[in-house]
Amino acid sequence: MATIATRGWAAEQRRSFRLGLLPALLVLAVVTLGPALYLVVTSLTPLTPVNPDTAFDFSDPLGNYKSILTTDEFWASVWVQIELSVVTVVTQLAAGLGLALLLDRPSRFLEALRTGFLVPMVLPPIVVAIIWKILYTPDISPLHHLLAWLGMPIHSLITNASTAIWAIAAADTWEWFPFTMLMLLAALQMVPKEPQEAARIDGANAIQLFWHVRLPYIRPTLVVCVLFRLIDSIKAFPLIYVLTDGGPGGATQVTNYYAFEQTFSFSYWGYGSAVATLMVLGVFVLSVVVNRLGGEAIDE
Amino acid sequence: MSRRLPFHEGVAVLILAVVLSPALWLLQMSFRHNADILTPRLIFAPTLENYTSLWTGQFPDSFVNSLLASSTSTAFSMVLGVPAAYALARWRFRGERHIALWILATRMAPPIAFTIPFFLAFTWAGLMDTVLGLAIIYVTFNLALVIWSMRGFFAAVPRSLEEAAWIDGCGVWSAFVRITLPLSAPGLAATGILCFILSWNDFFYALILTRTRAMTAPVAIVNFMQYAGWEWGKIAAAGVLVMLPVLVFTFFVRSYLVSGLMAGGVKE
Amino acid sequence: MSMPRLRRRQMLASAAGGAGLLMLPGKAPAQGGAKKLAGVTLNVSCWSSSYPKYLADYIPEFEQATGAKVNYETPSFPIYNQRMDIELSTKSDAHDVINVTFIYTGRWINAGWVIPLTDYISDPKKTPADWDVNDFLPGSTAAFKDRQGRLCAIPWIADVQMAGASRYDLIQQAGMKLPDTFDELAAMLKAVNGKDSIPGWVVENHYGWTFIPFLQGFGGNVFRNAPNDLTPTLDTPEAVAAADFFCNNLRQYGPDGVLSYTYDQVLETLKQGRANYSSSNETFLVQMANPDSKVGKTCALSLTPGGPAGRFPNVAAHGWGIPVGSRNKDAAWEFITWAMSKEMTLRMFNDHAYSSVTRRSMIERPEFRQKMQINGIDVAQLYLDTLNLGAKGYTVYRTMAPYPPIDHEIDVAMQSIISKQKTAKEAMAQAQQNALTQLKRAGVKL
Repeated sequence: MATIATRGWAAEQRRSFRLGLLPALLVLAVVTLGPALYLVVTSLTPLTPVNPDTAFDFSDPLGNYKSILTTDEFWASVWVQIELSVVTVVTQLAAGLGLALLLDRPSRFLEALRTGFLVPMVLPPIVVAIIWKILYTPDISPLHHLLAWLGMPIHSLITNASTAIWAIAAADTWEWFPFTMLMLLAALQMVPKEPQEAARIDGANAIQLFWHVRLPYIRPTLVVCVLFRLIDSIKAFPLIYVLTDGGPGGATQVTNYYAFEQTFSFSYWGYGSAVATLMVLGVFVLSVVVNRLGGEAIDE
Repeated sequence: MSRRLPFHEGVAVLILAVVLSPALWLLQMSFRHNADILTPRLIFAPTLENYTSLWTGQFPDSFVNSLLASSTSTAFSMVLGVPAAYALARWRFRGERHIALWILATRMAPPIAFTIPFFLAFTWAGLMDTVLGLAIIYVTFNLALVIWSMRGFFAAVPRSLEEAAWIDGCGVWSAFVRITLPLSAPGLAATGILCFILSWNDFFYALILTRTRAMTAPVAIVNFMQYAGWEWGKIAAAGVLVMLPVLVFTFFVRSYLVSGLMAGGVKE
Repeated sequence: MSMPRLRRRQMLASAAGGAGLLMLPGKAPAQGGAKKLAGVTLNVSCWSSSYPKYLADYIPEFEQATGAKVNYETPSFPIYNQRMDIELSTKSDAHDVINVTFIYTGRWINAGWVIPLTDYISDPKKTPADWDVNDFLPGSTAAFKDRQGRLCAIPWIADVQMAGASRYDLIQQAGMKLPDTFDELAAMLKAVNGKDSIPGWVVENHYGWTFIPFLQGFGGNVFRNAPNDLTPTLDTPEAVAAADFFCNNLRQYGPDGVLSYTYDQVLETLKQGRANYSSSNETFLVQMANPDSKVGKTCALSLTPGGPAGRFPNVAAHGWGIPVGSRNKDAAWEFITWAMSKEMTLRMFNDHAYSSVTRRSMIERPEFRQKMQINGIDVAQLYLDTLNLGAKGYTVYRTMAPYPPIDHEIDVAMQSIISKQKTAKEAMAQAQQNALTQLKRAGVKL
């Protein structure tokens, strides 16, 4: 059989592939590396548009960073972020896993139902925010009306500092549990049959079956879920913007929102850039850590 | 012994009903008079006035802007990303892993990290409040998605088919166009639709980078919410209109959503 | 970076080959006749106060008369400010007529983001002689003068703080009248809260505006001595006492979820009689007497109550301005002269009882006083008294350029106290510290 492994062909092939890859890489570089560089450079200045002189003022390059690290509001936002991320990731995993286990059955009906469960995840996030704004506004909320009718009226959840963050977490979980559900369902369906059969024959009940046989196989997927949901939880914006605007009193002001406010409400561009830079670094470190802890789930 | 009880099906249906009820509530709210919305009555006289009132004002324009920005960005990303995905699928080279990580990294950065530099750049370049500007910034997340997603689809096409063409004297790219592309058509469609959905759903970039001319539908809804009087009926109707295209498209790509989601994730 | 903005955009347009993507097709010009502004699209934006909302009804007349198309939007106060601040910083051409918000006057005017209007005013072809720019109250135009003394906005409101009750009958039943001092306020709230199942007090959540009379009434202030000394004084004992008083009473006697009440929600609540007393703006309070209000017969207004250090109802002014980047400045001025003409002011008063006017000629009309009687109360007099108080200048802190972030810190502090996350002392100390940081970040030397 003739091969095409001649030197001329290999070189031509390489050139072709390079040609196909290059434009994308170039554009990617321009739209990602360029802005990244710009972000870091801006973070070294006290840039604010009110005063054009600040654009190239490098007299105190680490000034913004020093200010961030000594600002209580920043650390408060980090703490809120941690709270929100932990709660949402855990509940989304739990809900997703529970539903995946429920749907992991050879049933055409259940397979068709799966599409319905996708809805919260694919809705535009702003629509999700509006839906939950309605649910959390006592005057018009069916939830509030129902509870009042049942004799258990509750106060507004999003204006109460102790419940606001959980209200947001609930909305966020509703929005994103389909993600973990889909991933875990796919993983569960890839668990080999023999070990499960063997365990069943040995008399294992459902819980033992899950814990000892299926869990090890889906563990890499669990780690990926945690990683993706963790990273995405740091980007949470429309829910907070519509439901609480970071309030009450900063109770729902995550770091992303803090950066948004500093940059776009007060026009502290340099400072906001520094916060954004720290966020990117934080996300990066987080991914590395999760990856290490979870084993080599992300490969290649 | 597992009995074919409809128990699990029943529970699943129940849970699904509960999960979908908030969205369904929004839907029924869009057909209520504003006065009816404040009362908890379940029966009401439906009306289309919320939808008709949307056609005056700037909502139709914003809808068009969303369409334009999403389609343009999808087109950019597909044109750039598909060849790159193919190259990554077929070509083993050093540094491949670094590029893979880089592409993954673009997905990780919070949008604000991009918004600040893009805002300043767009102001300088006159791209603020333009559909073109939005299409460009959407490329930051769409391109990576296209490359990851299509790479998987291309890898699934048997290499032997292409090799046969190469033996016949076909160039790499003409073989690609004649053999690989048609076979990956479903994947192309799914990926394109996924890009469209992601662009359509964007809120943050549109909020910051558009004003009056290029305002997209999600931002237009928020404008309603800030009008005094809180016209909930209109808000609900706008919300329904904005979510409709997404739901329709999702239905068509539902089976590909998993692989799209796992782009950059577990080994395929 | 020496290319003019327009050329750069044109180059990019042709480079992209997608000229159609850059601009949506403009609307077709008005048919027939040589209408003055035929084919022009004006983008007008203002925050959703009463006057801008009323103006919306008259805009079709303007469009009909001039042939222009007006895109008119009225977002809420915080959203308007945030978006306009970003937009103006890019010197964008997205809007042609904008509201110059009181707390942003120092910032926007001194940065040159809105143009001085003196040329337009003095040009007889652009401004009719009887339009009379001097008719506007000096108190309302003062904030809109730039460093050279040129007027940069035309005020559409002198926004004064007052107090009012939707159910004055309940207060009278308790043997009291509308409070004049903070002590009387506390006593009255205690007496009427819950009567007829309605909460006693409702205040909008822009505490950087509604809390200040209490702050100053207790002897505190925002800055030590604006405009000369901008050291914030938010953690003084007086400030803490004021915060304590304000927040405790609001938490105790306010409606459920009081933290979420915006100014339009407060107004709606009052009109529906779902809360009793309110410290709000005159332009909102007078609407309790509107035909569509349920409390027309039982409402009452009074001056803002005062504290040990005196009575400090805050007075703000908002005005129409033209952004420096606008491409339709002449048409914009046409809009402004129409919207702020004597005729329009009179019509708004007659049609909507709009009374927070800025034209002296309007205030001096006999029917102004007559029509502004609500349940026997001379609201016009209250308005004038408040304007006179405000002329003393204690509102100057609001026009300081670095004030907006501090306004926000005050909002946050009050939220923390009302929601019991912090004590008054802790919250004000935090606000003070944040304010210092904000000032430093803004480059202010203390």
